[in-house]
Amino acid sequence: MRWFVNKHPVWAGFIIILAAIALWLIFAVWPEWLVDAVGRKKIFLNALFNGITLGGLYFLVASGFTLIFGLMRNVNLAHGSLYLLGGYIGYGVAEWTGYWLLAFPAAFIVAGAFGILLQLVVFRRMEGQDLRQTLVTIGVSIVMADLMLWIWGGDFYNIRAPSWLSGPMETFFVTDVRTSTGDLIFLKYPMVRVVIFAASVVVGIGMWLLLSRTRVGMMIRAGVDDSQMLAATGARIQLAFLGVFAFGAGLAGMAGVVGGTFQSVAPGEDIRFLLASLVVVIVGGMGSIPGAAIGALLIGLAEQFGSVYFPTYAVVLTFLIMVLVLAFRPQGLMGRA
Amino acid sequence: MALVESRPRETRRIGWLERLPASYWALGAVLLLMPAFASDFVIFQIMGWTFILGIIALSLMFLAGYGGMVSLVQMSVAGVAGYMIAICGDSAIETISQGWPWYIAIPLALIIAVAAGTAVGWLAVRTEGIYTIMITLAIASAFFYFARQNYVIFNGFSGFNGVLPPELFGVDWRAPGAFYYLTLFWATAGYLAVLYLSRAPFGLALQGVRDNPRRMAALGFNVTAHRVAAYSFAALLAGIGGILLTWQSAQISPGTAGIGPVIDILVIAVIGGLRHPIGPFIGAFIYVLLKTFALDALVAVGLGGERFQLLIGVGFVLIVFFSPDGVLGLWEKVRQNRGRDLVRDPSGEAR
Amino acid sequence: MIAQSSVTQRLSATGTANALELRGVSKLFGALAALSDINITVRPGERRAVLGSNGAGKTTLFNCVTGDFPLTTGAIRFFGEDISAFPAHERIRRGLRRTYQISLLLNGLSVIDNVYLACRGVSRGRFSFLRPRRDDALMASAETLVRVVSLDSVQDALVSTLSHGQQRQLEIAMALAGAPRFILFDEPAAGLSPTERRDLIQILTGLPSHMGFIIIEHDMDVALRVAESVTMMHNGRIFKEGKPSEIEDDPEVQALYLGGGPD
Repeated sequence: MRWFVNKHPVWAGFIIILAAIALWLIFAVWPEWLVDAVGRKKIFLNALFNGITLGGLYFLVASGFTLIFGLMRNVNLAHGSLYLLGGYIGYGVAEWTGYWLLAFPAAFIVAGAFGILLQLVVFRRMEGQDLRQTLVTIGVSIVMADLMLWIWGGDFYNIRAPSWLSGPMETFFVTDVRTSTGDLIFLKYPMVRVVIFAASVVVGIGMWLLLSRTRVGMMIRAGVDDSQMLAATGARIQLAFLGVFAFGAGLAGMAGVVGGTFQSVAPGEDIRFLLASLVVVIVGGMGSIPGAAIGALLIGLAEQFGSVYFPTYAVVLTFLIMVLVLAFRPQGLMGRA
Repeated sequence: MALVESRPRETRRIGWLERLPASYWALGAVLLLMPAFASDFVIFQIMGWTFILGIIALSLMFLAGYGGMVSLVQMSVAGVAGYMIAICGDSAIETISQGWPWYIAIPLALIIAVAAGTAVGWLAVRTEGIYTIMITLAIASAFFYFARQNYVIFNGFSGFNGVLPPELFGVDWRAPGAFYYLTLFWATAGYLAVLYLSRAPFGLALQGVRDNPRRMAALGFNVTAHRVAAYSFAALLAGIGGILLTWQSAQISPGTAGIGPVIDILVIAVIGGLRHPIGPFIGAFIYVLLKTFALDALVAVGLGGERFQLLIGVGFVLIVFFSPDGVLGLWEKVRQNRGRDLVRDPSGEAR
Repeated sequence: MIAQSSVTQRLSATGTANALELRGVSKLFGALAALSDINITVRPGERRAVLGSNGAGKTTLFNCVTGDFPLTTGAIRFFGEDISAFPAHERIRRGLRRTYQISLLLNGLSVIDNVYLACRGVSRGRFSFLRPRRDDALMASAETLVRVVSLDSVQDALVSTLSHGQQRQLEIAMALAGAPRFILFDEPAAGLSPTERRDLIQILTGLPSHMGFIIIEHDMDVALRVAESVTMMHNGRIFKEGKPSEIEDDPEVQALYLGGGPD
């Protein structure tokens, strides 16, 4: 952190000022002129937290994608299909057993198994041919999308959160002051979103720890830098590839359950979340987990604020961020030059 | 990133007219005379569409085969040109269409398309090769969503209809016969242009940049500039295809440049083969045939007619698996096997 | 034939600006100092050899001069012009050329295409959409170059089909394209047979007198035959400079490089 401040003092100053403004906006009671100009604070806070939790969801999906690229230089465009598959499987399991929590391991296992299948049947045969592998993933995604459409039809499914998670929870963020009594009104926010966000933070930290603190993680990071060299040292790189692919795929599947709970499981969600992953990873930087986190947060916030405050051009905001990053820092915010 | 193993072999110094094999003459004759013996449906719908998709896929083949850059934004650039011709020229949406004459509207549409393609190229080329697919896909989807939500310029979800070619020289260019020759002309022009360009300094330098950008920089070439210029030329091709596409269906909407069509162009180019400019047209022909007749074929087999995507997807995966050079690659292998002397080379390996 | 023209003679012939000047150049990769405080001056037309054990930083030096790596500190001047911030292609267009330790060729194109592009790269019309005509001047010079390195028999062959020695010859041809003023040869003799090595020495010594070069070589025979001055590097620093005969006899050099083991 100190290094960043030293190297880019202007940017650091800018970010600190932005952070101060943001903190004030979040915690203080808004004065009249602000409410007139921007709208009610409750809407702002909802957009903010929806953006953050959506960012958590995007992080879950994008981190698997970036991990797979980082290690295997393969742009896996079937990643969205894995997400959707996880969503359908999760829905089925949750409905059948009645336990929402069971949806997660089910989705993880099925999506992970698909990942292993892809790795063994497809990628191992085309080792080193990045483009060819990517083309195959495109074909696979087309096939999977149509098969899922065939099996589950075109309906929207929504995975019901369990009763102990549904409903709003009281937060400590002030939205307004009751004019009659002077009491503070606090924001009520859906508990399920908070819990899922917390879970994605845990997953993110867990992954980061795994990659940076364990031997397996070190091997994976070495493989990102130079997989040929790593293979020459005798490390079981194929097993590492398999593990990473399975994990990344499983993560996407679990994200499908999350998305199905937040929003819905339906055809077209695969493309939507694939595109979201692409944008997140372009902005955050390929192969970087912290980058995926920052990118996901940025994109989630942009999308939510966009849809609340500039509904016609919400999409433009997201892609504008992407274009800016591409223009000025093509390797991504945390990417290696 | 070698999807294509060896490069097109060109012969020089012999006059190209003498070099044309008989098959080219036969094909040329068939194409020129087709309206005489084929139905309107065949020449307008099947062949016209083949030529149009072929031109757009040719622009992708140019970038991918000669430049090593797989760009998924070509269909979007075609869409930009189509939209611009609707906006600058005539359409049923009179509140937006400017109604300028064709000699202003058409060049303007192409210029805007080339500008768009160049801008995308500039964004996409300063990163590693494999990122290009990601970045161009993201930009293509951005264009789709934007066009769908913008009502001021793009007329949102419905887009423009009633977009017709101008009546020049007293010909209704959308009549099947005239349209067929129009698309045939531009397809041939595009094909010959790409073929010619591949051996011009620009095309050679582009192939050099594909093979070894570091080396090209060390020979004095500005690698980034060459790549961006390639995008510009490809955008011109895609723009021409886009205008023809809009005229053919007399309408353009966000779905024309949606994710599905964007990927379809890649599928077409790869199925045909990225090695030679004829590949995209072969791929387009196969695609159009499938799209037209797959419904009946699927029903005959017992699957629902909606399973077209499944068919395309499986076919695509099989092609990439077994013949990554597409149909052209298969053809090469067949030719090599047939030329082999089975007595002297019993090993059975294709060289 | 050993190039024995005096350096001072050549100096007065081509002016006073040094062909290549490195001042205080260093290159750090994280904590690893690949180059430390390099100061080199090469006159126009001078033939210099840079020697040193593996890891001494010789190729890194070349990479910095051609622009593959940005410098950590210091400046590089080429014929009086500060090129430290220039991208690679700008440096090449000012008359700098380089060959590579491992041949860096355009594998999908033919021999003549490679050399033609080398000639094109430093001339106008890089973006030309027109195919070269039969009497194209650049095509003619490309064909001449191919003849100089004795590759005219395989002129139209794809690079990927050439033998190692032929590829090394093609490297040389591409370095000579377009009238360079100064060339960096990175181990041109690597992997060559004795006959090919003799041909290489002939080419190098037969270069026009205004064309200076720096040669990195492990083959002392080749290096000391074509060079008139030598720079010894070790661990990213220059530790000795002088005439070939002086270097050969220097006890420190012998201990460290010619006879001694790794440090």
